[in-house]
Amino acid sequence: MIDIQESHKKFRKELSAGTVSLALLAILAQAEEPLYGYQIGKQIGAGDDQGDPPGVLVKQGAIYPVLRSLESQGLLSSRREMSDSGPPRKFYQATPAGKEALQGWVQIWNETKTFVDNALGGEYQ
Amino acid sequence: MKTADELIQSYLSDLKSALKSADRATVQDALADAEEHLRSALETELNEGEGRAENEAIQAIIQKYGEPEEIAGAYAYPGFFGVYADPRAWGGLVYMLISIVTGTIYFSWAVTGLSTSLGVMILIIGIPVTILFLLSFRGIAFLEGRLVEALLGERMPRRASFTDSSLPWKERLKILLTGKATWLSWIYLILMLPIGIIYFTVMVTLISLALACIASPVAAYVFHLPFGSFSNGQVIWALPKYLTPLLAAAGVALATATMHLARWVGRIHGKFAKALLVSD
Repeated sequence: MIDIQESHKKFRKELSAGTVSLALLAILAQAEEPLYGYQIGKQIGAGDDQGDPPGVLVKQGAIYPVLRSLESQGLLSSRREMSDSGPPRKFYQATPAGKEALQGWVQIWNETKTFVDNALGGEYQ
Repeated sequence: MKTADELIQSYLSDLKSALKSADRATVQDALADAEEHLRSALETELNEGEGRAENEAIQAIIQKYGEPEEIAGAYAYPGFFGVYADPRAWGGLVYMLISIVTGTIYFSWAVTGLSTSLGVMILIIGIPVTILFLLSFRGIAFLEGRLVEALLGERMPRRASFTDSSLPWKERLKILLTGKATWLSWIYLILMLPIGIIYFTVMVTLISLALACIASPVAAYVFHLPFGSFSNGQVIWALPKYLTPLLAAAGVALATATMHLARWVGRIHGKFAKALLVSD
């Protein structure tokens, strides 16, 4: 017996690995000022209200490791700032290298989209 | 009823225990991220929200942030001790220990096969005997490939390779006799004896040394056996008793390093097996 729920979860996880990086980099490259994790999460609509509506790939907590990994690749830079309440916040912004990388990523994304759309054909769209 | 602060604290401690196999820097990062997020979200919610009670709001925020196990999974890069949870490390260890057995069998078969074939070459039965042995080398190489994939994780062929059946049998025989695949497989089977001996010796030495170090405090304090060097039942030199716990810690480090070594050797051996056993 195949667990459909389980297969959805697995597929979602596999799919989110690269797309979350792309979405985060895109948001930060377009942002006018540095953003902290919670603001970024709200912008990509991660884990919206009422649990997980269809279309949401990640929990908000899962974007933080991705931010860190993008930072370690030099695509994002960060600085800590004290906040009025609670712990200091880490503000992220895209580096010039990050903005350059994004252009290539967008192209790859467009190719991927075409590739998948072609495979899905008319029937599943 | 728990306050928002208590709920955050209990979430953070759940997250910490879910991250127990990660290294300390990762744990710190993950906890800092979670706390920053939960508190920022709570602050925003209270300023702009629909007037929900603090502890109700935080429950919804935690829900959106994700279960501790889920979040721990997102941060999971194996740390130094994470190697014990890595099936590749255990696979490498088992492979290295059994390679003395498989290596001996492979070597004997490869040497027997080739010398018998050469010996009976002048007789009429020489040809079929040779063909059977050469086929067996390919067959054993295929089985070794399955073993390598199962234990070391290197992707190996899942079907034995046959020569193109549309070719005339003379061509097929020629490919079997002079093909690279046959002889590279034979070389691999021969090399597995020395390699297996080295793997086995190194692993058994490291494992027993590590276990001896780990057991030294028990031996010293419970059984009053010194850790040192002996000659004719005489203790020549012994480690002071109080240092044995230190030695045990070194033993744990050595055992862990041995697991890392097994994983590393496993990876290298996988590449080596692929280079010799899989021909394009």
